Amino acid sequence: MPLICDNVAFTYPAAEHPILTNVSFNLSTPGFHSFFGPSGVGKTSLAKILTGDIAEYSGKVVTDGLKHLLYSHNKERLPGWSNVDRHLSRVIPQSMLAEKDRLVDVFGVSDCTKARFDQLSMGQQNRVNLIRYLLQDCDVLIMDESMANVDELTREKIILAIKDMFPRRYFIYISHNAMEVAKFCDSILVFRNSGKAQQTVMIQGCNMGRDDNISTKALDATLLEIMNAS
Amino acid sequence: MLPKRVFQFFIIYFLFIGGLMIMKYSLHLSDYVIPAPSDMLHTMVAEYRQYSLATINTMTVAIIGQVLSVIMAFVIGIIGRQSTWLGSFIKVAAYNIQAYPIVALAPILFILLGDGFITRLLIAAMICYFPVLLSVLGIMSKPIDDIEHFYRVTGRMRWQLEVKIRTFENLTQLTTVIAGSATLAMAGTIVGEFIAANAGIGYSIRIALYQSDLGKILIALFLIGITIAVYQALLELLGVAIKRTWTGK
Repeated sequence: MPLICDNVAFTYPAAEHPILTNVSFNLSTPGFHSFFGPSGVGKTSLAKILTGDIAEYSGKVVTDGLKHLLYSHNKERLPGWSNVDRHLSRVIPQSMLAEKDRLVDVFGVSDCTKARFDQLSMGQQNRVNLIRYLLQDCDVLIMDESMANVDELTREKIILAIKDMFPRRYFIYISHNAMEVAKFCDSILVFRNSGKAQQTVMIQGCNMGRDDNISTKALDATLLEIMNAS
Repeated sequence: MLPKRVFQFFIIYFLFIGGLMIMKYSLHLSDYVIPAPSDMLHTMVAEYRQYSLATINTMTVAIIGQVLSVIMAFVIGIIGRQSTWLGSFIKVAAYNIQAYPIVALAPILFILLGDGFITRLLIAAMICYFPVLLSVLGIMSKPIDDIEHFYRVTGRMRWQLEVKIRTFENLTQLTTVIAGSATLAMAGTIVGEFIAANAGIGYSIRIALYQSDLGKILIALFLIGITIAVYQALLELLGVAIKRTWTGK
Protein backbone atom coordinates (compact mmCIF):
# COMPACT_ATOMS: atom_id res chain seq x y z
CA MET A 1 0.00 0.00 0.00
CA PRO A 2 2.38 2.74 -1.11
CA LEU A 3 1.59 6.42 -1.08
CA ILE A 4 2.70 7.85 -4.40
CA CYS A 5 2.74 11.35 -5.83
CA ASP A 6 3.65 11.67 -9.46
CA ASN A 7 4.34 15.06 -11.04
CA VAL A 8 1.81 16.89 -8.92
CA ALA A 9 1.38 20.56 -9.77
CA PHE A 10 -1.07 23.05 -8.35
CA THR A 11 -1.81 26.77 -8.63
CA TYR A 12 -4.26 28.54 -6.33
CA PRO A 13 -7.06 30.18 -8.38
CA ALA A 14 -6.03 33.79 -7.71
CA ALA A 15 -2.26 33.17 -7.70
CA GLU A 16 0.16 34.11 -10.49
CA HIS A 17 2.64 31.31 -9.87
CA PRO A 18 2.11 27.65 -9.06
CA ILE A 19 2.61 26.66 -5.43
CA LEU A 20 3.59 23.12 -6.45
CA THR A 21 5.52 22.15 -9.57
CA ASN A 22 6.10 18.54 -10.56
CA VAL A 23 6.32 17.15 -7.06
CA SER A 24 6.97 13.42 -7.00
CA PHE A 25 7.67 11.00 -4.18
CA ASN A 26 6.97 7.47 -3.14
CA LEU A 27 6.41 6.40 0.45
CA SER A 28 6.55 2.63 0.20
CA THR A 29 6.37 1.67 3.86
CA PRO A 30 4.33 2.93 6.82
CA GLY A 31 6.18 4.91 9.44
CA PHE A 32 7.14 8.42 10.38
CA HIS A 33 7.79 10.62 7.35
CA SER A 34 8.11 14.34 7.03
CA PHE A 35 7.50 17.36 4.84
CA PHE A 36 10.17 19.89 5.71
CA GLY A 37 10.81 23.38 4.41
CA PRO A 38 10.24 27.08 4.94
CA SER A 39 6.77 28.59 5.30
CA GLY A 40 4.73 29.13 2.16
CA VAL A 41 6.47 26.58 -0.07
CA GLY A 42 3.47 24.26 -0.43
CA LYS A 43 3.72 21.68 2.37
CA THR A 44 0.16 22.20 3.56
CA SER A 45 -1.15 22.42 -0.01
CA LEU A 46 0.43 19.06 -0.82
CA ALA A 47 -1.02 17.59 2.38
CA LYS A 48 -4.48 18.79 1.36
CA ILE A 49 -4.02 17.29 -2.10
CA LEU A 50 -3.18 13.94 -0.50
CA THR A 51 -6.30 13.98 1.67
CA GLY A 52 -8.51 15.13 -1.19
CA ASP A 53 -9.29 18.58 0.25
CA ILE A 54 -7.77 20.12 -2.88
CA ALA A 55 -8.98 18.47 -6.06
CA GLU A 56 -7.99 20.81 -8.91
CA TYR A 57 -4.36 19.69 -9.26
CA SER A 58 -2.55 18.04 -12.13
CA GLY A 59 -0.46 14.90 -11.88
CA LYS A 60 -1.28 11.70 -10.08
CA VAL A 61 -1.76 10.75 -6.44
CA VAL A 62 -1.96 7.03 -5.70
CA THR A 63 -3.43 6.03 -2.35
CA ASP A 64 -4.73 2.57 -3.35
CA GLY A 65 -5.43 0.38 -0.36
CA LEU A 66 -5.16 3.29 2.08
CA LYS A 67 -8.63 3.66 3.58
CA HIS A 68 -8.69 6.94 5.39
CA LEU A 69 -6.26 9.82 5.08
CA LEU A 70 -6.65 12.44 7.78
CA TYR A 71 -5.17 15.91 7.96
CA SER A 72 -4.78 17.62 11.32
CA HIS A 73 -3.30 21.02 12.08
CA ASN A 74 -2.37 23.10 15.08
CA LYS A 75 -5.14 25.68 14.76
CA GLU A 76 -7.92 23.24 15.51
CA ARG A 77 -10.17 23.55 18.52
CA LEU A 78 -12.51 21.28 20.44
CA PRO A 79 -16.00 22.61 21.15
CA GLY A 80 -16.19 24.42 24.48
CA TRP A 81 -19.43 23.04 25.89
CA SER A 82 -17.89 20.17 27.83
CA ASN A 83 -14.56 19.05 29.19
CA VAL A 84 -11.72 17.47 27.21
CA ASP A 85 -12.21 13.97 28.63
CA ARG A 86 -15.88 13.92 27.67
CA HIS A 87 -15.08 15.07 24.14
CA LEU A 88 -12.37 12.48 23.70
CA SER A 89 -14.63 9.70 24.96
CA ARG A 90 -17.32 10.70 22.50
CA VAL A 91 -15.14 10.82 19.39
CA ILE A 92 -12.85 7.87 20.00
CA PRO A 93 -14.12 4.52 18.66
CA GLN A 94 -14.90 1.88 21.31
CA SER A 95 -12.11 -0.35 20.00
CA MET A 96 -9.52 2.37 20.72
CA LEU A 97 -10.81 3.64 24.06
CA ALA A 98 -8.27 1.55 25.97
CA GLU A 99 -5.42 3.40 24.29
CA LYS A 100 -6.84 6.78 25.23
CA ASP A 101 -5.61 6.67 28.83
CA ARG A 102 -2.15 5.58 27.74
CA LEU A 103 -1.86 8.41 25.25
CA VAL A 104 -3.24 10.95 27.72
CA ASP A 105 -0.52 9.85 30.12
CA VAL A 106 2.33 9.81 27.57
CA PHE A 107 1.26 13.17 26.16
CA GLY A 108 1.38 14.68 29.66
CA VAL A 109 -2.19 15.96 29.65
CA SER A 110 -3.71 13.77 32.38
CA ASP A 111 -3.98 16.75 34.73
CA CYS A 112 -6.08 18.79 32.37
CA THR A 113 -8.65 16.40 30.93
CA LYS A 114 -11.33 17.68 33.29
CA ALA A 115 -10.83 21.21 31.99
CA ARG A 116 -12.50 22.74 28.97
CA PHE A 117 -10.41 23.15 25.84
CA ASP A 118 -10.12 26.94 26.03
CA GLN A 119 -8.73 26.66 29.57
CA LEU A 120 -5.67 24.75 28.32
CA SER A 121 -2.34 26.18 27.23
CA MET A 122 -1.59 26.12 23.49
CA GLY A 123 0.75 23.18 23.88
CA GLN A 124 -1.86 21.22 25.82
CA GLN A 125 -4.50 22.09 23.22
CA ASN A 126 -2.32 20.75 20.41
CA ARG A 127 -1.60 17.54 22.29
CA VAL A 128 -5.29 16.93 23.06
CA ASN A 129 -6.16 17.56 19.42
CA LEU A 130 -3.48 15.11 18.30
CA ILE A 131 -4.77 12.41 20.67
CA ARG A 132 -8.24 12.44 19.12
CA TYR A 133 -6.75 12.15 15.62
CA LEU A 134 -4.39 9.35 16.57
CA LEU A 135 -7.28 7.34 17.95
CA GLN A 136 -9.25 7.37 14.70
CA ASP A 137 -9.44 4.53 12.27
CA CYS A 138 -7.09 5.82 9.57
CA ASP A 139 -4.14 4.63 7.49
CA VAL A 140 -2.47 7.99 6.95
CA LEU A 141 -2.32 10.85 9.41
CA ILE A 142 -0.83 14.15 8.35
CA MET A 143 0.26 16.23 11.32
CA ASP A 144 0.70 19.84 10.24
CA GLU A 145 2.76 21.41 13.01
CA SER A 146 0.56 19.43 15.37
CA MET A 147 3.10 19.66 18.16
CA ALA A 148 3.71 23.37 18.01
CA ASN A 149 4.16 24.97 21.45
CA VAL A 150 5.09 21.60 23.01
CA ASP A 151 8.47 21.38 24.72
CA GLU A 152 11.22 19.37 23.04
CA LEU A 153 11.41 16.55 25.59
CA THR A 154 7.67 15.90 25.51
CA ARG A 155 7.69 16.03 21.70
CA GLU A 156 10.38 13.34 21.62
CA LYS A 157 8.40 11.22 24.06
CA ILE A 158 5.26 11.64 21.96
CA ILE A 159 6.94 10.79 18.65
CA LEU A 160 8.50 7.64 20.11
CA ALA A 161 5.16 6.58 21.62
CA ILE A 162 3.39 7.16 18.29
CA LYS A 163 5.96 5.04 16.46
CA ASP A 164 5.54 2.27 19.05
CA MET A 165 1.77 2.27 19.15
CA PHE A 166 0.96 2.66 15.46
CA PRO A 167 3.64 0.82 13.49
CA ARG A 168 1.33 0.11 10.54
CA ARG A 169 0.24 3.64 9.95
CA TYR A 170 1.72 6.31 7.69
CA PHE A 171 2.50 9.56 9.45
CA ILE A 172 3.47 12.68 7.58
CA TYR A 173 4.88 15.16 10.04
CA ILE A 174 5.03 18.73 8.79
CA SER A 175 7.60 20.56 10.86
CA HIS A 176 10.18 23.34 10.76
CA ASN A 177 12.47 21.58 13.20
CA ALA A 178 15.34 20.12 11.14
CA MET A 179 16.89 18.26 14.07
CA GLU A 180 13.62 16.55 14.94
CA VAL A 181 12.78 15.39 11.43
CA ALA A 182 16.36 14.26 10.82
CA LYS A 183 16.35 12.20 14.01
CA PHE A 184 12.90 10.59 13.98
CA CYS A 185 11.70 10.46 10.40
CA ASP A 186 12.17 7.63 7.95
CA SER A 187 12.03 9.80 4.85
CA ILE A 188 12.01 13.57 4.59
CA LEU A 189 10.56 15.42 1.63
CA VAL A 190 12.50 18.68 1.66
CA PHE A 191 10.76 21.60 -0.02
CA ARG A 192 13.34 23.88 -1.56
CA ASN A 193 13.30 27.64 -1.81
CA SER A 194 11.77 28.94 -5.03
CA GLY A 195 14.07 29.35 -8.01
CA LYS A 196 15.55 25.87 -7.87
CA ALA A 197 14.88 23.49 -10.74
CA GLN A 198 13.47 20.66 -8.66
CA GLN A 199 10.98 21.78 -6.01
CA THR A 200 11.41 18.85 -3.65
CA VAL A 201 14.13 16.40 -2.71
CA MET A 202 13.58 13.16 -0.79
CA ILE A 203 16.15 12.45 1.93
CA GLN A 204 16.54 9.41 4.14
CA GLY A 205 16.22 10.24 7.84
CA CYS A 206 17.71 8.44 10.85
CA ASN A 207 14.30 6.97 11.82
CA MET A 208 15.21 6.57 15.46
CA GLY A 209 12.98 4.29 17.54
CA ARG A 210 12.62 3.84 21.30
CA ASP A 211 15.51 1.39 21.68
CA ASP A 212 17.73 2.79 18.95
CA ASN A 213 20.91 4.73 19.39
CA ILE A 214 22.03 6.88 16.55
CA SER A 215 25.51 8.21 16.15
CA THR A 216 26.09 11.92 16.13
CA LYS A 217 27.90 11.44 12.84
CA ALA A 218 24.83 9.92 11.15
CA LEU A 219 22.59 12.64 12.51
CA ASP A 220 24.98 15.37 11.39
CA ALA A 221 25.16 13.83 7.94
CA THR A 222 21.37 13.82 7.62
CA LEU A 223 21.16 17.38 8.88
CA LEU A 224 23.77 18.45 6.40
CA GLU A 225 21.88 16.75 3.61
CA ILE A 226 18.68 18.56 4.59
CA MET A 227 20.47 21.91 4.69
CA ASN A 228 22.09 21.33 1.33
CA ALA A 229 18.80 20.31 -0.22
CA SER A 230 16.80 23.27 1.06
CA MET B 1 -28.33 44.70 34.35
CA LEU B 2 -32.02 45.26 35.22
CA PRO B 3 -31.60 48.37 37.41
CA LYS B 4 -29.11 49.79 34.87
CA ARG B 5 -31.59 49.42 32.00
CA VAL B 6 -34.44 50.97 34.03
CA PHE B 7 -32.19 53.78 35.21
CA GLN B 8 -31.09 54.49 31.62
CA PHE B 9 -34.74 54.64 30.56
CA PHE B 10 -35.60 57.06 33.40
CA ILE B 11 -32.77 59.39 32.34
CA ILE B 12 -33.89 59.42 28.69
CA TYR B 13 -37.58 59.77 29.52
CA PHE B 14 -37.17 62.61 31.98
CA LEU B 15 -34.72 64.40 29.68
CA PHE B 16 -37.41 64.22 27.02
CA ILE B 17 -40.09 65.54 29.42
CA GLY B 18 -37.65 68.25 30.51
CA GLY B 19 -37.15 69.24 26.87
CA LEU B 20 -40.92 69.44 26.36
CA MET B 21 -41.29 71.63 29.46
CA ILE B 22 -38.51 73.96 28.31
CA MET B 23 -40.30 74.26 24.96
CA LYS B 24 -43.67 74.81 26.66
CA TYR B 25 -42.50 77.58 28.98
CA SER B 26 -40.07 79.26 26.60
CA LEU B 27 -42.61 79.40 23.76
CA HIS B 28 -45.55 80.05 26.12
CA LEU B 29 -47.48 77.08 24.76
CA SER B 30 -50.90 76.41 26.26
CA ASP B 31 -51.75 73.38 28.46
CA TYR B 32 -53.82 72.14 25.57
CA VAL B 33 -50.66 71.62 23.43
CA ILE B 34 -48.28 70.49 26.19
CA PRO B 35 -49.91 69.82 29.54
CA ALA B 36 -48.37 71.16 32.74
CA PRO B 37 -46.57 68.69 35.05
CA SER B 38 -49.48 68.77 37.50
CA ASP B 39 -51.92 67.87 34.70
CA MET B 40 -49.66 65.02 33.63
CA LEU B 41 -49.57 63.70 37.16
CA HIS B 42 -53.36 63.95 37.33
CA THR B 43 -53.67 62.05 34.02
CA MET B 44 -51.27 59.41 35.28
CA VAL B 45 -53.28 58.78 38.44
CA ALA B 46 -56.49 58.63 36.43
CA GLU B 47 -55.28 56.41 33.58
CA TYR B 48 -52.55 54.40 35.27
CA ARG B 49 -54.58 51.21 35.77
CA GLN B 50 -56.18 51.12 32.33
CA TYR B 51 -52.94 51.99 30.52
CA SER B 52 -50.95 49.43 32.52
CA LEU B 53 -53.40 46.68 31.55
CA ALA B 54 -53.25 47.83 27.91
CA THR B 55 -49.43 47.78 28.01
CA ILE B 56 -49.42 44.27 29.50
CA ASN B 57 -51.85 43.21 26.78
CA THR B 58 -49.52 44.61 24.09
CA MET B 59 -46.46 43.11 25.75
CA THR B 60 -48.10 39.68 25.85
CA VAL B 61 -48.80 39.82 22.11
CA ALA B 62 -45.25 41.08 21.46
CA ILE B 63 -43.67 38.27 23.52
CA ILE B 64 -45.74 35.55 21.82
CA GLY B 65 -44.96 37.15 18.42
CA GLN B 66 -41.26 37.31 19.25
CA VAL B 67 -41.10 33.70 20.42
CA LEU B 68 -42.86 32.57 17.24
CA SER B 69 -40.59 34.63 15.02
CA VAL B 70 -37.41 33.41 16.77
CA ILE B 71 -38.53 29.77 16.38
CA MET B 72 -39.41 30.38 12.73
CA ALA B 73 -36.16 32.25 12.09
CA PHE B 74 -34.15 29.34 13.52
CA VAL B 75 -36.03 26.73 11.48
CA ILE B 76 -35.69 28.67 8.23
CA GLY B 77 -32.14 29.79 9.10
CA ILE B 78 -31.05 26.20 9.72
CA ILE B 79 -32.57 25.03 6.43
CA GLY B 80 -31.22 28.07 4.60
CA ARG B 81 -27.65 27.64 5.89
CA GLN B 82 -26.92 24.93 3.32
CA SER B 83 -25.26 25.80 0.06
CA THR B 84 -27.97 23.93 -1.84
CA TRP B 85 -30.52 25.39 -4.27
CA LEU B 86 -33.09 25.60 -1.44
CA GLY B 87 -30.59 27.27 0.88
CA SER B 88 -29.67 29.90 -1.70
CA PHE B 89 -33.33 30.47 -2.53
CA ILE B 90 -34.22 31.02 1.14
CA LYS B 91 -31.34 33.47 1.57
CA VAL B 92 -32.22 35.53 -1.51
CA ALA B 93 -35.93 35.49 -0.64
CA ALA B 94 -35.23 36.58 2.95
CA TYR B 95 -33.04 39.49 1.82
CA ASN B 96 -35.64 40.64 -0.70
CA ILE B 97 -38.72 40.28 1.49
CA GLN B 98 -37.14 42.01 4.49
CA ALA B 99 -36.64 45.11 2.35
CA TYR B 100 -40.42 45.44 2.06
CA PRO B 101 -42.03 47.47 4.87
CA ILE B 102 -44.20 45.03 6.83
CA VAL B 103 -46.28 47.92 8.20
CA ALA B 104 -47.49 48.53 4.65
CA LEU B 105 -48.96 45.03 4.68
CA ALA B 106 -50.76 45.60 7.98
CA PRO B 107 -53.97 47.02 6.43
CA ILE B 108 -54.28 43.90 4.26
CA LEU B 109 -54.05 41.71 7.37
CA PHE B 110 -56.67 43.80 9.16
CA ILE B 111 -58.99 43.56 6.15
CA LEU B 112 -58.53 39.81 5.84
CA LEU B 113 -58.34 38.79 9.50
CA GLY B 114 -60.16 41.55 11.36
CA ASP B 115 -58.82 43.69 14.21
CA GLY B 116 -58.32 40.99 16.82
CA PHE B 117 -55.48 39.17 18.52
CA ILE B 118 -54.25 37.14 15.51
CA THR B 119 -53.67 40.19 13.33
CA ARG B 120 -51.66 41.96 16.03
CA LEU B 121 -49.67 38.79 16.65
CA LEU B 122 -48.90 38.35 12.96
CA ILE B 123 -47.69 41.93 12.56
CA ALA B 124 -45.50 41.66 15.68
CA ALA B 125 -44.03 38.36 14.49
CA MET B 126 -43.42 39.59 10.94
CA ILE B 127 -41.71 42.79 12.04
CA CYS B 128 -39.17 41.07 14.28
CA TYR B 129 -38.86 37.92 12.15
CA PHE B 130 -36.68 39.18 9.29
CA PRO B 131 -33.88 40.84 11.28
CA VAL B 132 -33.61 37.70 13.42
CA LEU B 133 -33.73 35.48 10.32
CA LEU B 134 -30.95 37.41 8.58
CA SER B 135 -28.74 37.13 11.67
CA VAL B 136 -29.46 33.41 12.09
CA LEU B 137 -28.84 32.82 8.37
CA GLY B 138 -25.54 34.69 8.56
CA ILE B 139 -24.42 32.76 11.64
CA MET B 140 -25.56 29.35 10.44
CA SER B 141 -24.06 29.75 6.96
CA LYS B 142 -20.58 30.53 8.26
CA PRO B 143 -18.52 27.41 9.00
CA ILE B 144 -16.37 27.31 12.14
CA ASP B 145 -13.56 25.51 10.30
CA ASP B 146 -11.15 25.08 13.19
CA ILE B 147 -13.78 23.08 15.10
CA GLU B 148 -15.77 21.49 12.30
CA HIS B 149 -12.75 20.14 10.36
CA PHE B 150 -12.28 17.14 12.66
CA TYR B 151 -15.93 16.12 12.54
CA ARG B 152 -16.03 16.43 8.75
CA VAL B 153 -12.89 14.44 7.98
CA THR B 154 -13.82 11.68 10.43
CA GLY B 155 -17.38 11.46 9.05
CA ARG B 156 -18.98 12.49 12.35
CA MET B 157 -20.61 15.69 11.22
CA ARG B 158 -24.40 15.74 11.51
CA TRP B 159 -26.60 18.76 10.93
CA GLN B 160 -27.50 18.87 14.63
CA LEU B 161 -23.81 19.03 15.60
CA GLU B 162 -23.13 21.68 12.96
CA VAL B 163 -25.97 23.85 14.30
CA LYS B 164 -24.81 23.26 17.88
CA ILE B 165 -21.23 24.32 17.08
CA ARG B 166 -22.29 27.45 15.21
CA THR B 167 -24.83 28.42 17.87
CA PHE B 168 -22.29 27.91 20.66
CA GLU B 169 -19.60 29.92 18.90
CA ASN B 170 -22.01 32.83 18.23
CA LEU B 171 -23.97 32.72 21.46
CA THR B 172 -23.27 36.34 22.41
CA GLN B 173 -24.33 37.60 19.00
CA LEU B 174 -27.48 35.49 19.02
CA THR B 175 -28.59 36.57 22.49
CA THR B 176 -27.97 40.22 21.54
CA VAL B 177 -30.07 39.85 18.39
CA ILE B 178 -32.89 38.12 20.27
CA ALA B 179 -32.87 40.73 23.04
CA GLY B 180 -32.85 43.48 20.40
CA SER B 181 -35.74 41.92 18.53
CA ALA B 182 -37.93 42.42 21.61
CA THR B 183 -38.07 46.14 20.79
CA LEU B 184 -39.05 45.34 17.22
CA ALA B 185 -41.82 42.99 18.34
CA MET B 186 -43.17 45.63 20.72
CA ALA B 187 -42.95 48.33 18.06
CA GLY B 188 -44.70 46.04 15.56
CA THR B 189 -47.54 45.30 17.94
CA ILE B 190 -48.03 48.96 18.84
CA VAL B 191 -48.02 50.02 15.17
CA GLY B 192 -50.55 47.28 14.39
CA GLU B 193 -52.77 48.40 17.27
CA PHE B 194 -52.38 52.01 16.23
CA ILE B 195 -53.54 51.23 12.70
CA ALA B 196 -56.68 49.27 13.40
CA ALA B 197 -56.79 46.99 16.45
CA ASN B 198 -59.34 47.18 19.26
CA ALA B 199 -57.03 46.62 22.23
CA GLY B 200 -53.56 47.31 23.55
CA ILE B 201 -51.54 50.42 24.29
CA GLY B 202 -51.29 51.32 20.57
CA TYR B 203 -55.09 51.48 20.48
CA SER B 204 -55.06 53.68 23.62
CA ILE B 205 -52.53 56.02 21.94
CA ARG B 206 -54.81 56.24 18.89
CA ILE B 207 -57.75 57.26 21.13
CA ALA B 208 -55.51 59.80 22.92
CA LEU B 209 -54.43 61.19 19.56
CA TYR B 210 -58.05 61.68 18.52
CA GLN B 211 -58.59 63.52 21.83
CA SER B 212 -55.34 65.51 21.24
CA ASP B 213 -54.34 64.55 24.79
CA LEU B 214 -50.53 64.68 24.93
CA GLY B 215 -50.58 63.83 28.65
CA LYS B 216 -52.11 60.41 27.94
CA ILE B 217 -49.62 59.78 25.13
CA LEU B 218 -46.70 60.64 27.42
CA ILE B 219 -48.04 58.29 30.11
CA ALA B 220 -48.37 55.55 27.47
CA LEU B 221 -44.79 56.20 26.34
CA PHE B 222 -43.58 55.91 29.91
CA LEU B 223 -45.30 52.57 30.42
CA ILE B 224 -44.12 51.23 27.04
CA GLY B 225 -40.54 52.31 27.73
CA ILE B 226 -40.37 50.85 31.21
CA THR B 227 -41.93 47.56 30.07
CA ILE B 228 -39.49 47.15 27.17
CA ALA B 229 -36.53 48.06 29.40
CA VAL B 230 -37.53 45.40 31.94
CA TYR B 231 -38.25 42.77 29.27
CA GLN B 232 -34.96 43.39 27.45
CA ALA B 233 -33.02 43.26 30.69
CA LEU B 234 -34.71 39.94 31.56
CA LEU B 235 -33.81 38.57 28.10
CA GLU B 236 -30.21 39.68 28.57
CA LEU B 237 -30.10 38.03 31.99
CA LEU B 238 -31.49 34.85 30.46
CA GLY B 239 -28.79 35.03 27.75
CA VAL B 240 -26.07 35.44 30.38
CA ALA B 241 -27.47 32.50 32.38
CA ILE B 242 -27.57 30.26 29.28
CA LYS B 243 -24.03 31.31 28.35
CA ARG B 244 -22.75 30.66 31.85
CA THR B 245 -24.33 27.22 31.99
CA TRP B 246 -23.16 26.22 28.52
CA THR B 247 -19.66 27.68 28.46
CA GLY B 248 -18.88 27.37 32.16
CA LYS B 249 -17.75 31.02 32.26
